[in-house]
Amino acid sequence: MVLSHDDTNDILQDVFMKAWNGLDSFRGESQVSTWLYRIATNETLTFLTNKRLKNINSLDEVEDILLQNLQADNYFNGDEAQLQLQKAILTLPEKQRLVFNMRFYEDLSYDEMSEVLGTSVGALKASYHHATKKIEHFLIEENDD
Amino acid sequence: MMRKKNISLDEMDKRLPFTVPENYFEDFATSMELQISEVAAEKKHRQLKPWVYAVAAVSTGLIIFGSVYTSVFSGTSKPDNYESYVLSQVDETSMLYYYLEGHNTENK
Repeated sequence: MVLSHDDTNDILQDVFMKAWNGLDSFRGESQVSTWLYRIATNETLTFLTNKRLKNINSLDEVEDILLQNLQADNYFNGDEAQLQLQKAILTLPEKQRLVFNMRFYEDLSYDEMSEVLGTSVGALKASYHHATKKIEHFLIEENDD
Repeated sequence: MMRKKNISLDEMDKRLPFTVPENYFEDFATSMELQISEVAAEKKHRQLKPWVYAVAAVSTGLIIFGSVYTSVFSGTSKPDNYESYVLSQVDETSMLYYYLEGHNTENK
């Protein structure tokens, strides 16, 4: 989601810190992994919101900055096709991007995603469907140029 | 007319195209422990601050109370202050007349 090893590392540390501090509030109603996913999702969205606020006066969109980070990141080991796919994913709205990444890369079931994101399974299916269509359309257009 | 090539996501590589530094996950616990100890130290430091403020507030209060108490209830300072006040309200000419008239009255 943030496409930079350093930013991901910071978020991951914050996630475990939050989990550590909030361990008493974990009531065991969901799996630990679901609970951690939820914290990670919130932390990631907060990180992106803060980045957006910091860049409010910048001409570049946050997505442009994320793409620049990705291209400069030493830990991105994808080929040209995977870079194109990442570019396509960046054209999606933030929440849709989250849904796409969870389903496509992490292979989470819609039920698990529903628990993490607090969204209905139907809405998630629709969101993923729209995301794939947009990505395929982007890739076709890029391939055509 | 050229036909656009059909692209399907099902045919694409689903592995995340990212790696991590060597021993990243092995060292992660250590770096977390370090961060936790730093946060704990910071929290401890923050917990001390209210006590410092409380001690400073009590000390200031005692100093102010002490000085007010001394000036109000001390036996020596009150007449001194009163005399200084009265003298400050009288100009030198009036004082001279007062002394001269008093001297003349005593002589009569």
